[in-house]
Amino acid sequence: MKLKMTAVLSATAIGALLLSACGSTNEASSSPSSSASGSAEASTSAEPAGSSQAADTVGGKLAILTGNVGGKTPEGNEKFAKALGDKLGMDVTLDKPASDYDQKVLTALGSGAKYDLIEVSDLAKLNTFIDQGVVTDLTDFVKQSSVLSDPSVIPSAEWDQLKGEDGKIYGVFSKFQGATMPIVRKDWLNKLNLQEPKTLDELYNVLKAFKENDPDGNGKADTYGLSTSGLYDIQGIMSAAGLKYRYVMKDGKRTIPYASDAAIPMYEWFAKLVKEGIMDPNFVTNDTAKMRNLFLADRVGMITYWDAWVGMFNSLKQQENPNTTFDAEGMASIPGPDGTILMRRGDPDFWIIPKNAPHPDAAKKFLEFWQSQDGITLGSLGVEGYDYTVDNGTYTLTDVGKQANMDHGVPYWYNSSVKSPFPPLPGVEDAMALSKQYATLEVSLSTWPDAEKIVTNYALKAMSGQMPAKDAVAQMQKELKAANLIDE
Amino acid sequence: MKILKKHGLFYLLMLPVAIYFVLFSYYPLVKGLQTSFQDYKLMGARPYVGFTNYGTVWHDPTFWDAFRNTLIIGGGILIAGFLAPLIVALSLNEVLNRPFKKAAQLILYIPHLLSWVVVGGVCIFLLSPDTGFVNLLLVKLFGIQPINFLAEDSWARGIMIGSAVWKDMGYNCILFLAGIVAINPSLYEAARMDGATRWQQMRYVTLPQLANTMKVIFLLNTLGILRIFDQIFVMRNSAIASKVDVLMMYTFQKGIMEIRLGPAAAASFYVVLFTLVLTFAVRKMTRFDEV
Repeated sequence: MKLKMTAVLSATAIGALLLSACGSTNEASSSPSSSASGSAEASTSAEPAGSSQAADTVGGKLAILTGNVGGKTPEGNEKFAKALGDKLGMDVTLDKPASDYDQKVLTALGSGAKYDLIEVSDLAKLNTFIDQGVVTDLTDFVKQSSVLSDPSVIPSAEWDQLKGEDGKIYGVFSKFQGATMPIVRKDWLNKLNLQEPKTLDELYNVLKAFKENDPDGNGKADTYGLSTSGLYDIQGIMSAAGLKYRYVMKDGKRTIPYASDAAIPMYEWFAKLVKEGIMDPNFVTNDTAKMRNLFLADRVGMITYWDAWVGMFNSLKQQENPNTTFDAEGMASIPGPDGTILMRRGDPDFWIIPKNAPHPDAAKKFLEFWQSQDGITLGSLGVEGYDYTVDNGTYTLTDVGKQANMDHGVPYWYNSSVKSPFPPLPGVEDAMALSKQYATLEVSLSTWPDAEKIVTNYALKAMSGQMPAKDAVAQMQKELKAANLIDE
Repeated sequence: MKILKKHGLFYLLMLPVAIYFVLFSYYPLVKGLQTSFQDYKLMGARPYVGFTNYGTVWHDPTFWDAFRNTLIIGGGILIAGFLAPLIVALSLNEVLNRPFKKAAQLILYIPHLLSWVVVGGVCIFLLSPDTGFVNLLLVKLFGIQPINFLAEDSWARGIMIGSAVWKDMGYNCILFLAGIVAINPSLYEAARMDGATRWQQMRYVTLPQLANTMKVIFLLNTLGILRIFDQIFVMRNSAIASKVDVLMMYTFQKGIMEIRLGPAAAASFYVVLFTLVLTFAVRKMTRFDEV
């Protein structure tokens, strides 16, 4: 009797285990649809698309893996995928991992998961993907597309960014990417009767005043002049010595200006800021979110970040308090000795079609749609009725839409014939005008990731005053040469 | 066959667990070994390249820097992480106030339940040079300049070791306490009758009787020292990377950041190999087989 009981219980347990296993298998295989209808944090399934042969008709399904495009919440993402599907007439799966996007992309590609489109934000990664045989050549498609080949939709020269070494086009832009720059509290400048700095000495004086003259008026010495996130985008200041980030090719030889002797006085300048308490001492450990929060919390007068964020900062503060005096302003880099202003053009965000995409034609239809009025409206404003409403041609953002700041992956776009129904966020137009005037792309060779570790390590040591700048640069040069990462 | 018939039900019960390990442990292990011998591309042909990936890793100075960091940080965690909970366990064993003892155990154990994301974030916050509690205390008590603990080479490894020991001290302490509780009380009684003091009881009864528990804990901790990752991933930054980047971080960077999966797989198999060597050495040194 006892044995029978044991057998029954065991069989029940095994049955339950097997059933739960089956259950989880089903859940996994159906995750694309559940992610499309469920979560902005949906995990990548092994077969996000095309597993159902019945629905596997060309143009009928579209699976997208994206880091930026979509809703801001699981609910918003569900509505976004539905709206996109309605516009395209397809069953759209939109997987938008909440974090570790690069790892998710690699895992998806390495595991053989099938997506029709993957969003990428790194040109070095594009080159790696080309080497790894991952991406589809889109040259003919782009040239034959009446939408994409139209220079008013995407300026012809821009396509050079998305070409491989073989001259073929491997991606299509998902938005217009601006540049990084020093962003300064204009209201603090006005309050302290200071002018926007044009030289390194003027910049020092401004930052010192931000530190010492109580610009937030709370009677406490609790503000910093400058904060950064490590070496992130200090280009605006290094410009003062004519130093461009990453590689610069000189007569066919690889050089890294940040590791040259000309960088020594710049690192000494930063070390002086740190020593005098003018620079946020956490700059080494800051991530960009911490840096942004410090700026929004009135703790720092200047940071170095994207032009688009000038508008975002002002908008966020105005939403918080319509009477705020907060006024962020994008600033041109400090001119170099010859008057040249160096600014960093960011790597673009773009779509690739993986070679194993089950529905490449659907993906191409999307790529053209994404540059159209409807696509840009969806990518910027979001979903009608959820993020915004239209009444007699008048657009109004809902509370959800206001929080999204008109950014569902496309805050700015190339297509000059598409105008936003809303005025631009405060300050952003001026910032972008600077980007367009001065920003240039950087040379990113395949050896840069290894070189970057050495440069960043010693640059941060020099900037934080742990090591004399001269020694730090000498050590940088020694290690870069030993590892064959620079030629001179 | 006879055994299978007799114990068939139990083998059947083991089946789901066995399938789980085959699918999620052994299959990836074999797949990883295969990858380490391939010029692995995300798509398309993946030709076999013999030991090229192993050679690439072997001749990479960054790998050996990471190896050195792993030995220093892992070794520090192994030794300090063994002694600290042992001392605490022996001390707690002497505490007669039961509620205090339980409360102390609970407080010590809580950090073990937290993920490194939380513990790392707390450490970064506590050690911040301007608003961190540690620096505020140092400035207040000793009037010294704030120290940027997580940006200075000289502090980096110590912070990693200290935080890891603090996080897992409660767990190891409970294992030691369990070992202490299992000691035959008559040994203490005999010692007391012979006039042994508390210290002598600890020295001549508790510690020798705890030897086997100590061996097991030391060996288990040894198995993990080359696989440190989460903590470093959360707490590292570019300024201290050269001092704290460990072998698993090297593997992660090669595989995920640089998408060089062949060398990454080869590096991870070096870790397996080194762990095996280390484990056998520790077994030999501690005479583990005599447990």
